[in-house]
Amino acid sequence: MGSVTNTLTWYWPTRSGLPPLVPMLWLTAVVLLLAVTAPLVEIDFIHVVASLPKLGSFLSHFLVVPDWNYLPELGLRMLETIEMAVLGTAMAIVFSVPLALLAARNTSPHVVIGWLTTYVLTAIRALPELTWAVAFVAAVGLGPLAGIMALAFVTIGFMAKFFAEAIEVVDCGAVEGIRAQGAGRVQTIAFAMLPQAMPDFISALLYILDHNLRAASILGLVGAGGIGYDLVMNLRLYQYDRLMMIALAIYVVVTALDRLSTRFRHGVI
Amino acid sequence: MAMNVDFQPLPRKPANFIPIWLCAVCAILYAMSWHLSLSFGDLVSGIGDTGDYISQFFHPDFSLGHKYVWLMIETVCTALWGTAIACIVALVLSPLAASTLTPHPLIYRATREVLNFMRAMPDMLLALMLVSAIGLGPLPGAFALGIHTAGFLGKFYSELLERVPRGRYEALAATGAGFVQTTMIAGYPSILREMAGYTFYIFDRNIRMASVLGLVGAGGIGLELESTLGFFLYNKASAIIIIIFATLFVVDALSSTIRRRLT
Repeated sequence: MGSVTNTLTWYWPTRSGLPPLVPMLWLTAVVLLLAVTAPLVEIDFIHVVASLPKLGSFLSHFLVVPDWNYLPELGLRMLETIEMAVLGTAMAIVFSVPLALLAARNTSPHVVIGWLTTYVLTAIRALPELTWAVAFVAAVGLGPLAGIMALAFVTIGFMAKFFAEAIEVVDCGAVEGIRAQGAGRVQTIAFAMLPQAMPDFISALLYILDHNLRAASILGLVGAGGIGYDLVMNLRLYQYDRLMMIALAIYVVVTALDRLSTRFRHGVI
Repeated sequence: MAMNVDFQPLPRKPANFIPIWLCAVCAILYAMSWHLSLSFGDLVSGIGDTGDYISQFFHPDFSLGHKYVWLMIETVCTALWGTAIACIVALVLSPLAASTLTPHPLIYRATREVLNFMRAMPDMLLALMLVSAIGLGPLPGAFALGIHTAGFLGKFYSELLERVPRGRYEALAATGAGFVQTTMIAGYPSILREMAGYTFYIFDRNIRMASVLGLVGAGGIGLELESTLGFFLYNKASAIIIIIFATLFVVDALSSTIRRRLT
């Protein structure tokens, strides 16, 4: 029996049987960092435990009968949100393709231009849509236009980057082949590079559309159109019956687009 | 002398539906902009107005710089805690949502749906609700980020766990290891590198989001940004924006270096 207990001794699955050093050091560092920063984020045991009943009572407000009279307006607002996401994405495509051609290493007219474009795109990506939406609302006034412009602006930063990455990985064979036929620069890009990058383009496009729909649903917080405005208003007025419907509607629409884009992506690629 | 070559007729040109699709897309876009009562003129004048507006930001005022830097540190900490919460939740849920590891198909479906729900709720919306539930401050912000990104991390981790060669799981199952043992010994160690990469990506994203969560009262530098913009203090606002930019550049460079070394 002694040998059985011996074989049941626990070892780490490493050569020495001891915990692996480097991951353990990382883990300790992360835990220490979290412990040090906890007071800044007001995470202490008492605070967290005290907030749980509040959270519970807040969630219990949602157990109400939905306000069905609100349904048509909700539908209209959701439609507006979807339209904002689509128009913002469409506007971004127009600007992203030329910018991607400037940024991609194999199509950029000059190395310096490539770098500059990449840096500009990084700067655009740095701040989220909502910050730009605040600026655009102040500039062009309340309404969906500000939201669409904010979405399009940030989307250019992401889309041009994704497009440039897709162009950079195209197969050289087709490019050389079409060049050997005497094709010029524009013809090479149009007939050898873009068609090869198309599946990646579409994949990036779907991802961005998905992201933009989520973003569009909260842009209304700063008055840039869409469902977010209703969300804030109803939260301030404690109309939980409508609030629940809004949250559900956002969930349903985002999930539907997610499923749809997954199916479409499998069809294309 | 004419050559007597028998030319084969070329195969018929395949039908090209692209113009039709393009027209349909344009029509839909036009209908949408008509529904939102937008016009091209609005857009052009909007871009001009934005230019005017942005030109007001060219004189940053750093007199309260130390305060902004402190708020930025708080923001980064909120993002850190949000990521930590997300990571812990995802570590628990992802093996249940990986088709090769899950103890039962029903659990697999349920966990997937839970992760999907977490992803679908925008973090701003969660922050808004949590602020009205548990009060102002960075805590609701960290929770909101945690819940939303747990959905993403859970999905990423479970996809990684599914890509691990089945043999590793089977080898452990053959020795009599249970679900937890298989996950801890064959699952996580196999995907540690990619996991770290994804977690850094989420941390990066969380810092961006944390810097605007203040707009709804969830702590950090966003609150200050909102109030300076509200009082038209463009010089102070531009100082805040510059600090956010600088932090994001540093974090971006750091995380991309770490991710490159990991993979």
